[in-house]
Amino acid sequence: MNELLINQLLIACQIIPLLALVLIFLSSGNERKIAAISFGFSHLMGVSVIALLTLWARAGFPNYEFVWFNLLNKEGYEFPVIFYLDRVGAVYLFAIWTIFAIIVKYCRVYLHREAGYKRFFQTIFGFIFGLNLIVLAGSIDMLFAGWEIVGISSFLLIAYYRHRPQPVRNAFRAYTIYRFCDVGLLLGSLMSHKMFHQSPNFSSLSEMFAMHTLPPFSYFWLAIMSWLIILAASGKSAQFPFCFWLPRAMEGPTPSSAIFYGALSIHLGVFLLLRTEPIWGYRILPRVLLFCIGLLTVIIASISECAQSNIKGQIAYASIAQVGFMFMELSLGLNSLVLMHFISNAFLRCYQLLVSPSIIAHMLRVEGTMEADLNLMRHMQYLPLSIRATLPSVIQNSLYVFALEEGNLERLVRKILWDPLKSIGARINRVHFVLQIGLIVLLVTVVALLLKEDLFKNLAAGITSLLMVLMSLAAFGRKNSPIMVWNNVAMSSLLAAASVLIMNPSEPVRQDALLFLSGIVPAWLLGLFVLRIILKNIDFAANPFVYRAVAETRPRLALLLFLSFLGIIGFPITPAFIGVDLMLSHASHHHPWFALPIMIAFVVNGIAAARVFLKLCMGRPNEFSLRDESR
Amino acid sequence: MTHSSAPTSHSNGSDFDIDACINRIAAWLPTQAPIKDFVYHNTLESFQHLNFHEALSVAGKMFGALSYLPLGDYQKFYEEGRIRNHGLEWALAKTGLPLAEQQAIRLSLFEPDASGHYPPVALASHGLRNAWLTLLEIDLNALVHPIIFRLLASFFDQGISRWKLPKENESFWQVVKRLSQESLFPLYPFREPAVVRMLDQELDDIILTCLQKIAGDKSVYEQYLLEMLLAHPGWSGMARVVENNPKALLHLRKISLKEVIATELLCELAIVSARKPSGYPKVSELPNLHGIPLLNEDVMRPNVPPRLRVWHEAWEWTLYTELLAALKTQIGELTKPSSTEKSTPQAQAFFCIDERECSIRRYLEEINPAIETFGAAGFFGVDFYYQGMHDAYPVAQCPIVITPKHLVLESSAAPNAKNKKNNGSQLDKIQFSKHSLFRGWLYSQLLGLGYALKMAWTVFRPSSRLPIIKKWSETEAVQSHLHILRENDEPNEDGILLGFSFTEMADKVGNLLRNIGLTKNFAPLVVVVSHGSSSVNNPLFAAYDCGACASKPGSPNARAFAWMANQPQVREILRQRGVDIPDTTHFVASLHNTSRDEITYYDVQTPPPGFQKFKHDMQHALLRNARERCRWFELGPKSTSNQQAHDHVISRATSIFEPRPELDHSNNLYAIVGPRALTRHLFIDRRAFMHSYAPETDPEGSILLGILNAVIPVCGGINLEYLFSRIDNSVYGSGSKLPHNVIGLIGVANGVEGDLRTGLPQQAIEVHEPARLMIVVTQDTAVVDKTIARLGGLKQWLDNEWVRFVACEPQSGDLYLYSQHGWEPIPLPADYSVPAAKRSEEVIIGRTRAIPVHQLTGKAA
Repeated sequence: MNELLINQLLIACQIIPLLALVLIFLSSGNERKIAAISFGFSHLMGVSVIALLTLWARAGFPNYEFVWFNLLNKEGYEFPVIFYLDRVGAVYLFAIWTIFAIIVKYCRVYLHREAGYKRFFQTIFGFIFGLNLIVLAGSIDMLFAGWEIVGISSFLLIAYYRHRPQPVRNAFRAYTIYRFCDVGLLLGSLMSHKMFHQSPNFSSLSEMFAMHTLPPFSYFWLAIMSWLIILAASGKSAQFPFCFWLPRAMEGPTPSSAIFYGALSIHLGVFLLLRTEPIWGYRILPRVLLFCIGLLTVIIASISECAQSNIKGQIAYASIAQVGFMFMELSLGLNSLVLMHFISNAFLRCYQLLVSPSIIAHMLRVEGTMEADLNLMRHMQYLPLSIRATLPSVIQNSLYVFALEEGNLERLVRKILWDPLKSIGARINRVHFVLQIGLIVLLVTVVALLLKEDLFKNLAAGITSLLMVLMSLAAFGRKNSPIMVWNNVAMSSLLAAASVLIMNPSEPVRQDALLFLSGIVPAWLLGLFVLRIILKNIDFAANPFVYRAVAETRPRLALLLFLSFLGIIGFPITPAFIGVDLMLSHASHHHPWFALPIMIAFVVNGIAAARVFLKLCMGRPNEFSLRDESR
Repeated sequence: MTHSSAPTSHSNGSDFDIDACINRIAAWLPTQAPIKDFVYHNTLESFQHLNFHEALSVAGKMFGALSYLPLGDYQKFYEEGRIRNHGLEWALAKTGLPLAEQQAIRLSLFEPDASGHYPPVALASHGLRNAWLTLLEIDLNALVHPIIFRLLASFFDQGISRWKLPKENESFWQVVKRLSQESLFPLYPFREPAVVRMLDQELDDIILTCLQKIAGDKSVYEQYLLEMLLAHPGWSGMARVVENNPKALLHLRKISLKEVIATELLCELAIVSARKPSGYPKVSELPNLHGIPLLNEDVMRPNVPPRLRVWHEAWEWTLYTELLAALKTQIGELTKPSSTEKSTPQAQAFFCIDERECSIRRYLEEINPAIETFGAAGFFGVDFYYQGMHDAYPVAQCPIVITPKHLVLESSAAPNAKNKKNNGSQLDKIQFSKHSLFRGWLYSQLLGLGYALKMAWTVFRPSSRLPIIKKWSETEAVQSHLHILRENDEPNEDGILLGFSFTEMADKVGNLLRNIGLTKNFAPLVVVVSHGSSSVNNPLFAAYDCGACASKPGSPNARAFAWMANQPQVREILRQRGVDIPDTTHFVASLHNTSRDEITYYDVQTPPPGFQKFKHDMQHALLRNARERCRWFELGPKSTSNQQAHDHVISRATSIFEPRPELDHSNNLYAIVGPRALTRHLFIDRRAFMHSYAPETDPEGSILLGILNAVIPVCGGINLEYLFSRIDNSVYGSGSKLPHNVIGLIGVANGVEGDLRTGLPQQAIEVHEPARLMIVVTQDTAVVDKTIARLGGLKQWLDNEWVRFVACEPQSGDLYLYSQHGWEPIPLPADYSVPAAKRSEEVIIGRTRAIPVHQLTGKAA
């Protein structure tokens, strides 16, 4: 087995999209050049993928692992860059490349003369980079990095038509769900750190699974971890109760919808479950949960599909229903079937979305339209006469309303998840910001004094982390001042570091906190600087709902704001990405529950910061925005 | 509508007339029909009573739209010589301002644009409602629109969703009521406490109550309603269009704008009340109205930016004079011995007025000077409902302003042709077909790899060797037969006659021939060339077909016309009326596919004499035409090979990833009504709608009236649709077509819950140079005056300058511009000489943008 070559090919598959992204970013924006780069690199990737898969197949389809280097190596914590290739990864890799190559060829012409040609190809290469990272990742940590990259590039592509508020809104909606479900993966990876004493390698996991040796930790934690992973998978794959975001994400150019939501992104949840089967597959309970999620999804999605009067929504729900089936198949352990199903569904939906504009000609000129009715009458002939006249029509109406409202999942999620947070945030914001800061300083000082007593350490840390959550919620609930939101987010991150330090003021923790802050603080300051420039002449509070279109009027500032946004949410471009992980692992070192507030802050901060970016950078400029500037 | 008849004398609204208010508001909504028959019209139809520039300004302040190109664009045109000083002088003089002020404007023209080019603060984007929602801190549009759009889309749906929403004869409001009152899960938010009691009231009461609770004061009712509707102009407009013309849909729907308003107001009230349980300020209680545009006040006051106006008119005038100067050089052709004394041409060909046929006519005549071409509206004067072999319904084949009285059916001539339908592969069938959940699972489980192959093939196939895709235009048509002759005078239940009688046929044929001035000297072969366009993966396909046939391919009309003109009985009647078609003359129908540049001939089982020669010439013309079209395509071949160009246009029409199968009516600019001799030796690019007309046969201007009745709304409509979609593509147009999602087979929207988009997509207009249509009529002003006096409502188009109207006197060649106050002689620039070239290819080589009119000096005839 030619290991060296395989290793190099693995690295190539991973690096090629990133190279293309960088090249396109540096290129002049000339369409032909971008097309040539994209075309060349998609072929190059094709060559590496095929060579890799051939070599791997000739070696006898092994579960192959390759440690490239160690990004971070400290006592008790390792972050190796590690690749893993097995049957599941191979199938996904192949499907990703095939669809990607088709889409690149398709978009070269399809996006001709589009203003965002460069932006589109950049994002799509970013997306493929993330996908390959997920598929080839050898550990949960790396997988999580890919997961985040895919999330951000989805967000950017949904908001591709940034002039209109609706794509921006829907991008934000998808992003919030992604962000929420990332908790599952982040906590999952944290727990695995705790349990395996390093980022768990999928290879060792699968060995354990094959040997039927239970991992050396309590069933309780294993169960929690399983649920978290299932949560992450459900969010990404738009399963119950998160079905609603997928059809609404169909805002970008049709091929991007096809590749993201028709073909690849939506099957990532399935991939995650396939990868982590050793973790959740031991016991019956997670399997039952998975089955129920799948079943509920199938029911809701297929009913919703019946009332979709637009073609993309219909395809989206059909696809969700199929992924629901995959979840059920997974819970029954039919992994090969799942893989086949994935391949088929991905190609089918991708194709359907690509040709969806032809539906009018197809229905009107080729097939002829028919009006199908929801007719329950024929099933009702055994009912008592007295209700035969009313019951079927009531059931029919009910079914229709259920389908029309798509099971009401969106309002449900909003009511349970976001509304409470928002109202707490709004309540906090009634306290003036200066007062807020004052209180925090006071409390932290008191806490610092208390620190002398070892006994109060946990209490002190607890109070600090509570403050951190409150800060995040304040950011979340604030509508009329981007700078305050930004500061709240930063404060919350600082408090996170503080609380961990208070809990465990040892030297390694101090170093890790520094690592964490070395990502957050520059991002915060940069963002603050950019926001000050942008908001100099804008009375934001007077019109908090207006999108300010900075990406259009001052693109450089928008780019800087975007970068600082990525930094402050701990995206894998700054050390803060590893820092978050480290903070969490320290936090949960003594008390696992302690990770929870940090997680909440992590999610909420991300959402609040994203909103600042969207509100300021997206939108269509008009004389109103000019009036602001000239004032 | 049952509700509208209800008395409106209610205690709370006796002095507020809802119906009148709705009628006033509805006038501002877009009037675009369902997408299956895309009809070009003036986007700002409702502003037509205003002068063009004033209308632009008012519309801008209402919809939040731009009114002109960016200042920098005009300055660039000037630098490139596309705007000439002559045009600037003319436009400045046209302002009617004192010289000093003209001079001031002139100086300001070349200042760089400091403020950027952005839409004005407008009712739709910064109105009262917006201010109110800002005050309440509720993003109401984001909450209400998805509910309303989903209801409307499901209600209108023509065949995408599996369950049909409305029952037989149910109106929109009845549906909303049924779903909210008779369902186990109540339809959100109609069961909220604030509105649940109102559901059983009359619509008028609901509207008034809601308005009272939201808007507060009657003075702001109308503006509030208008702003609410303008937040989603597409759906509001569609509801109004269907209300006024239910037949615009295949499956009828009963809806009124009033129902939509009531439903939306209920939604708004329910959500606002739920969010603000302790009460909220009403719209009329807004603390600060400063800077908010008010309807009936500053919005309706036009405020035309003088600089942009002058630039735009200068730009247009420069373009106009390019044609007028060229026409002047050709005026001698008119007085040459007319076609009567010339030798009989080898063949004559009728083309549609469409400006896309401009170039193919030029090439055909260049290739064989013995061919004479004519232009006429593409339904060739034969209007009828047509039901093809595979059509479920008859559709009108004529301009939308005409309501046909006849029906023509197509039937198969070959016995086995029926089975040809649905011969697609299994994959094609399930592409969008409706199947059960289990079958869906099975399909998506098994067929995916098949799709991978299919997808790879459609994307990667070598473009020159394409699988033959059967379309309406090919093969099948040849084997079919049209029932044109009426056998029974009994009309059907809709009052429509099946077929035409010989007298009616003679009327139709005779009329057209007189219109285009062909009453003698018939060639042995007369080819009637209709046109259509084939494209794949294109929801807007209807916009590419023949506008004069209600956005359908014109082949049935051409076939009917040729069949009629070939009937001996028809010719006999015509002969009595003085039009003598010799027995040796044959009419042949054909269809020019404008995207693929291919032609199909109909009913030529026994080819008439001269047909092969014509076919051969036509084939050459098509190849050269394809090359001329390719100069616009940035990704097209840059070689001089006609064959390569032709392959390229075919691959465009058959690629699923090509958003521009052709550029459609881009760059339309002129309409010329007059004899072909005047334009025969001109290169007018593909910019002129051309209608043949013999001025000497029309001393009373009646023929001209018939022509203008079609040319002004059809060509003017196309022109203005392009103009406005180009000037502000996101408001008047439909934005990029790439993210479009087909809604209910009636329109497109962005994403699954967007508003319907109206107008043309960015891909259709991006190379268009927006300028108003100039109609040039070859006739004496005295005669034209008689015609204009009888134009009726269309006179508005001329008076308010929505099109420019020029008369070219055939004897003297003098040119006059029409204005409300009379005819103004047109001074042609002394320093402009019309460029000349030997042949078309010499003009187009290396040119990728619009080309000024050239003289073609390589005349053979």
